[in-house]
Order: sequence, then structure tokens, then C-alpha cells
Amino acid sequence: MATQHSRAAARFMIAPSVILLLAWMLIPLGMTLWFSFLRYNLLMPGANPFVGFENYAYFLSDPTFITSLINTLLLVGGVLIITVVGGIGLAVLLDQPMWGTGIVRIMVISPFFVMPTVSALVWKNMFMNPVNGLFAYVAEVLGVPAFDFLTQAPLASIIGIVSWQWLPFATLILLTAMQSLDSEQLEAAEMDGASALSRFWYIKLPHLARAITVVVLIQTIFLLSIFAEILVTTNGGPGVASTNLTYLVYAESLLRFDVGTGSAGGVVAIILANIVAIFLMRMIGKNLDA
Amino acid sequence: MHPRTALCAASTLALIAGAAAAQTTVTIATVNNGDMIRMQGLADNFTEQHPDIELEWVTLEENVLRQRVTQDVATQGGQFDVMTIGTYEVPIWGEQGWLTPLEGMPEGWNPEDFLPAIASGLTVDGTLYAAPFYGESSMVMYRTDLMEEAGLEMPEAPTWDFIGEAAAAMTDKDNEIYGICLRGKPGWGENMAFLTAMSNSFGARWFDENWQPQFDTDAWAQTLDTYLELVTNYGPPGAASNGFNENLALFQQGKCGMWIDATVAASFVTNPDESQVADSVGFALAPDNGLGKRGNWLWAWSLAIPSGTDAEDAAKEFIAWATGQAYTELVAENEGWANVPPGTRTSLYENEEYLSAAPFAERTLESINAADPQNPTVDPVPYTGVQFVAIPEFQGLGTAVGQVMSAALAGQTTAEEALAQAQTIATREMERAGYID
Amino acid sequence: MARAVSNRRMAINTGVAWVLAILIFFPILWTILTSFKTEATAIADPPVFLAFDWTLENYETVQERSNYFRHFMNSVVISVGSTLIGLLIAIPAAWAMAFVPGRQTKNVLMWMLSTKMLPPVGVLVPLYLIFRDYGLLDTRIGLVIVLTLINLPIIVWMLYTYFREIPVDILEAARMDGAGLSSEVLYILTPMAVPGIASTLLLNIILAWNEAFWTLNLTAANAAPLTAFIASYSSPEGLFYAKLSAASTMAIAPILVMGWFSQRQLVRGLTFGAVK
Repeated sequence: MATQHSRAAARFMIAPSVILLLAWMLIPLGMTLWFSFLRYNLLMPGANPFVGFENYAYFLSDPTFITSLINTLLLVGGVLIITVVGGIGLAVLLDQPMWGTGIVRIMVISPFFVMPTVSALVWKNMFMNPVNGLFAYVAEVLGVPAFDFLTQAPLASIIGIVSWQWLPFATLILLTAMQSLDSEQLEAAEMDGASALSRFWYIKLPHLARAITVVVLIQTIFLLSIFAEILVTTNGGPGVASTNLTYLVYAESLLRFDVGTGSAGGVVAIILANIVAIFLMRMIGKNLDA
Repeated sequence: MHPRTALCAASTLALIAGAAAAQTTVTIATVNNGDMIRMQGLADNFTEQHPDIELEWVTLEENVLRQRVTQDVATQGGQFDVMTIGTYEVPIWGEQGWLTPLEGMPEGWNPEDFLPAIASGLTVDGTLYAAPFYGESSMVMYRTDLMEEAGLEMPEAPTWDFIGEAAAAMTDKDNEIYGICLRGKPGWGENMAFLTAMSNSFGARWFDENWQPQFDTDAWAQTLDTYLELVTNYGPPGAASNGFNENLALFQQGKCGMWIDATVAASFVTNPDESQVADSVGFALAPDNGLGKRGNWLWAWSLAIPSGTDAEDAAKEFIAWATGQAYTELVAENEGWANVPPGTRTSLYENEEYLSAAPFAERTLESINAADPQNPTVDPVPYTGVQFVAIPEFQGLGTAVGQVMSAALAGQTTAEEALAQAQTIATREMERAGYID
Repeated sequence: MARAVSNRRMAINTGVAWVLAILIFFPILWTILTSFKTEATAIADPPVFLAFDWTLENYETVQERSNYFRHFMNSVVISVGSTLIGLLIAIPAAWAMAFVPGRQTKNVLMWMLSTKMLPPVGVLVPLYLIFRDYGLLDTRIGLVIVLTLINLPIIVWMLYTYFREIPVDILEAARMDGAGLSSEVLYILTPMAVPGIASTLLLNIILAWNEAFWTLNLTAANAAPLTAFIASYSSPEGLFYAKLSAASTMAIAPILVMGWFSQRQLVRGLTFGAVK
């Protein structure tokens, strides 16, 4: 149906985006790739000799590497589970008629507008601090010893903070999808005597499938490179308990200023992210084509 | 709405006024520590004297600042004209040629007046590369009232044994009083500053003379055991994420019996506006173990000019103002003598007004003089630096080891495992850097 | 036909939803409240909710120390600028992908999204060097470029999914009536696309406003936005909860208020093709 002419026009219209993104990918990425084969430490200027795969060997043999990989998966997976399950629950709830919907919705989406640094600072100091935080006070009232979140359960605490930021996003998309559900179908099911649970399970949930994949895809893109929250709250510690891949690369390239190893780590992270990406794209591609 | 409008108007006016008069802009990168914030507040005094210079402040938290300035100076990014750096960076950067020598400074700056211990740390091959803004060592700060209640008396120069005994006696967890607050937050400038200085007094060292890491020695085991015992039994919850600032807040709220940390904290904990325990704080030298070295460090936050700046003369004018004797008097006039930046000039410690206003002055000077960066440990070492090792690799290495120690404090690993890990990390790093095979 | 809902059920829904909403909103509320306390009240045990002496002193202190207005303006320029430029580049691309899809369209789109997975820390040093060489460090234009590029994939994708839902039949009808490409875009597509574009715009302003890695690392004084402003309050000496809260409130308030007022527009297009 599309003519030769409109195809050419289409290419012309897509070109700027593609060229810009290609440049954005290739120039820094090309430099990163090049640096990853050099012995290059910013703190020790001089010749930066070509060392082949030495940086990769050093980065991959770091015991922290495996830990950080696991932490990355736990972080992404944990936040996804919490936000998707919580988002579905909130979407179902907010879809019901109630008084003050507007204000409720504003309150629920607000965390999405908060900068990651601010939210990390607020949670760390005003809530999770074991001496002055609000949670410590709650513990005191309940007569249990204050729990030191960021020391005893650093990764779980970060998952909690990040989930708080992303829950609104998931809720919004799921709620929009929910509202597009044909209400007659639900009514018919209700008349047939289907319980609320089975209406949810057989009608609402399948309808949300697409929205869920969208939430998973978009959040994964952002969650793979979670950084500010870790830097502000735990600095990747204690030990390496909350170090994810992004933070490990940061530690190499900006704490040690070992640009060579940092670049090698960056390349590894990009490859891994793309594996995840391909996996996700397959999943989402199938779902979006339908 | 009213305050907001006024606020916008004021800033706009400031912008216009600034643009009209300024010719040279000096961009200053600094830490968000109290003394620097005070300096920023008093900077009008400088711009009045130098109407042709405009100051731009980039105030950042310590870790962020360090990363930003290192990145900028190493890539010659040219973002800053004055950088706030410490005794660790100055010798390394000076040697790399990244800093402008402080020669040809304005008249009356009087660099001879700087304390020799401090100035020597900022000098490379006889050339001064940075001007100390404030200098510090570490010492024991303690609550005289709690000490009395516990029936103990703090000696001028306590031992670690005494500190342990006192911490046990002062702790009253039901009332949120913790016998001792120490740094636990990972970082070479945070927990490792404390632990390294402490390890010196136990006869431990980072490396032997052949750069072999020494974490597998008994001296380190003793250091770490003592530290863990003190903090786990008598410290506040969450100690593994407490740094200088967190502990300062705890001490000011009266939650710490003792606190071993930077001498510069003395003026904050004795300031009645900020501290609830201002009138019952005592000071003692950092503890020792009878081996001839005390567990105190030496540090000076200093102002330096990166080479290649386009505002060298203006930057020198600024540094001369900020580190000059007139600035000390300016602070004294505005905020009182107790709040002047300590630990840099001999003349300050001969000033009667200061000595009577600052009960901690004498102890600070003693502590600074007791630290010896050239000769920091009981056994000889190939490096300088008391609480750090002045090699470029230390920043990364110290932080990695700091993480391990912090994990031990959090109870995730045992002391033994932590030291084994530290040994592995250090060996790995030193091999990579080519110090050892 | 709306279903009749009993008052009792309505009350239960309302109750549960309000409790949850307040819980979710509480950290923000608490930050705002704390910003009006003195430092001593901020850590009082037990915590005080409303019955304290409200004070503006924290805001005064923060304003004395930092040039809030400049940071604010930088944030506005950078987030709005990068979003507008991004839209300018992305609209044609998304339009073409949606209405003239080729065999590679989906792959191109997926590839674009995958560029977003580049971990920023891995490419900071190369980019810093490039910025240094072109004099882009600490300039608004430099940040606009970077933020445009990192958000471009999201913009293209969001617009694409939205445009795709515009029924093609309408276009064909218009073509039959002899409408050219330009009038097609101008009179038919644009009005239908407005909600999608508006919501893309809003989402991207939010993302750009909150971006804290590049904005902090590529700026010093002149172009530093509110993310850098907050970095100077993160862990100062002594008690700081109230000052931190004031600075936090100042940093998030503009975007929060914008979000509240525009939430309807934001939600309308925020479907990413998930609604059919």
C-alpha cells in the first residue's frame, strides 16, 4: 500500500533519530571499547600501552563481579515483582468507584516525580536511620529493637526505595489499561455468577497482560542502571552487599580512576544488558504485535 | 507567595549586579563542611576588597567533590580555578604537575606562619602547592558528666584498654546513650582513616618495606578485634554507616559517651547553638597501646589551583584571603574566636584570645604535633601518610578495604574473613599496579 | 451503563484507597513538614506532626547558601529544552514508523531502546574528554544534547505506540479527498496526536528534571541544575534534617506541582500501546 515515494519520505523522516542515536552509541562506545584495551589510569598519566584483554581478565576475575551480577538481577527482579504486583492491586482498587478519586490518584503518583537522589536521601535519613529515623521510633513504640535497614538488609532496603519510586508508574499504566476494559463483559460475568476473584483472574488479568509487559520492559531499562540510590544510601556496601554492575563499573572508573578496567566493565555491562534486552524484546515484540 | 516573589527578585538583582561589575570569575570547588560554608557566607568581604573578581561556589558532599575534582584535574577539564583537596592529594597531584605552585602570592600572606607538620604535607620538593584552610588531627572527645557518673577519670593520654573500660561503664542503651561512637562508613577517608590511624598504635601497617600487604599480621587482627568489640558492644545501632557527620550529629544530641574523631569537631560540639552537650565536653589525646605511636591522624583541607587555570592571579588573591590571618580575625569578629578555622597557623596558638575562647586549642595543637606523616608506624614503611598511603592507588584500594571492614562491623563476615579478604584485595591491586610480582 | 454500587462498598473502597494513598504519599508529606521545623524539632522523639512552631529559617539558610533561582532556571532550560528538541526529532520518525512501517521498523525501534541500556558510568570518561575538547563542559547546551540523546528512544517509542492507534482509515479517506501530505499531517493527524505528544512531553520533562548522573558530572557552577543543588546538602556537618528537607522540597516542588496539574494529560498518553 505504501508507495515508493512515501517509503523514501519515511526513511528521510527516521534518519535524524537513527543517525543521532548511532553517533551517540558509536562515539562514546567506540572510545570505551578502545580504552578497554589500554592500561589507562587517570591518576597515572603517561603512555597508555595496549594490553589486549588484560583489563577484561582483571574485571571478570574480580570476585565482586559475580556478586554484582546477582545483585543486579535481584534488584531488577525484586523491584519488578513488587511494582507489578502492587501496581495491579492498586489499579484494581483505584478502578473502583470511590470518593475523592482525584486526590487519591495525585497522592499515589507523586513519588514518581521525586528525584532519585532526594528520595534516597529522605528514606535513608528520615526513615531508615536507626537512631533518628521514623522507623526507629515505630520500633521503639512497638517495643522491638530498632532495625538497621541499610546495614542489615542493604539490598532489600534499596529495592524498597526504588519500588516506592516506580510503583506509581506501574500503577498508572495498569490503571489506564484497566479502564479500557469493556465493562459489559464484566457485568455479563457477574450476572453469570462469577466471583470477584474469578472475574479478576479470567477477565481482568489477561486484559492487563500487554500493559504488564510494557511496565516490565520500561522499568527494566531504567532499573539495570540504578546508581544514584546506591551511591547515596550504602555506597555499595556493607562489603559488596549492595553493589550492582553499574556501581562496580563506577567504583573502577571513578573511585580508582582506572579507566581501562572501568571501560572493560562498561563493555561487559553493555553486552549483558543487551542480552537482557534481546530476551525482553522477544517477549514484548510478541505481545505488542498481537 | 510573597517570600517566593521576593526571593526571585533578590536573585535576579544579584545576577544583574554580579554581571555588571565582574571581570574575572573564580570557580571554587569545596566540601560542604561547616568551616567552608562559613567561608562562603563571609565571601562578600573578599568581593568588596576585589570588585573585579566574581566568585562562583560549587559546594558538594565530600565523596562527590573528590570524584569531581580528581576527574577534572586528571583530564585537564578546566572547570575549577580553586579546588579544596587534602593532604593525600596534594603530594601526588603536585608531583604530576597538576597544580600551580603557590609562588608569587600577594604580600602579607606569611606562609612561614603555617604549622610545620601541616605545611610539610603540602610541600613537594620544597615547593608549596596548596594552602591549608584548616588542619586537623584526631582526639578523644568525651562527656565529662557521664564520665563522672561512671566514676572514672579520663587521663590526658588514655590507652585503648581504658577506652574499652570507660565505654562499657558509660553505655546505657535503654536511654540511648552509647559509650563510644566510631566511624564505620566505608571509604578511605571515612572508616579507613580511623582504622589505619588506630592500627598504627597497635604496631600494624599497610605494607612492609617491599610493598607486601600486611593484613595477615597479628597486629591487624588485634586492631580489628578491638575496634569491633568496642563498636558492637558499646556503639550506636547503624554504626556501619556512620561517618564523621553522622557521629557528630549523634554526639551533639548527647547520644555518645566518647567519640574519637577529627579535632575540628571540637568547635562544633562545644557550640551551644548546635550542641545539646556543649558545656560538658572534655578532650584527651587519641589512645595508644604503649608502643610509641598514638592512634591519631593528620589532615589539612587545603586550597590549591589546578595548572592551566585561566584565572591564576585572581585565584591566588582568593587563596591568600581565605587562608590569611585577616580571615581568622574576620571569623572571630563575626562568629567568635572559638569558630575560627583551626590547625593551620602558629600565630593562632599564641593568640591569648583564641586560647581562652577555645578550650580544645591546646589539645588540638598537641595532637597535630604528635602525628608524623614521614614516620607513621612502629615498624618502617615505604610510604608517607598517617591515615593513608600516599600512592595514587590508595584511593580505590582504601575504599575497597573499607567496604570489607564495614561488612565485618555489620556482622556479615567475621574479623578473620575480613582481614583475609583485605589481604587478597590489596595483593591483587598491588600486583596489578606493579609494586609486587 | 454504570453499575449501581452500594454506599457501603463505596465507603470501604474509599477507606482502603485513602489509607494506601496516604502511606505512599507520606514520605513526601513528611519531608515538606520537616522543612518547616527547627533542626531540634526535626529529630524530636516522639516525632511532632503539626503542632510545632512553623519556621521559614531553613529556606532562608538554603537560599543564603545557594543560588536556588539559577539552579532552578538551569533545570527548566535543560529539561524543557532537551524535551522539545527530542520531540522535534522524534515526531517525524515515529510518524513514519507508525504509518509507513517497513520490515525493519520493529528492529530499528528495538535497537533504539537498547541504546538506553548503555550504563552511563561506563562512558563518562570518554564523554568528559569529548565535552572538554568542544568546550561543552558546564554549559546548558551540552546537557541539553546529552539528555536529548538519552531520552530520544523513549520519546520515539512512546510516540510510535500512540500514533499507531490512530486509525489509518481516516488518513485514507483524507487522501481520497485529495489531501496532500502536509495537510494530512496538519489537519488530521495533529489534533489526534496531541494527547500523545502532550503526555510524551510531560513524561520527558520529568525524566530530564530528575536525571542525576550526567547533570552532576558534566557541570560545575554555570549550568548546574537542581540535582547538583541537592548534592551540597546530602551530608553536611551536624544536624541537617530540616535543611535537607527544605532543599529537597525546593528541588522537587516545581516538578511535583507541574505533575499534579497535568496528571490527566500525562495519563492519557502514557499507555505505550498497552491499551487496545
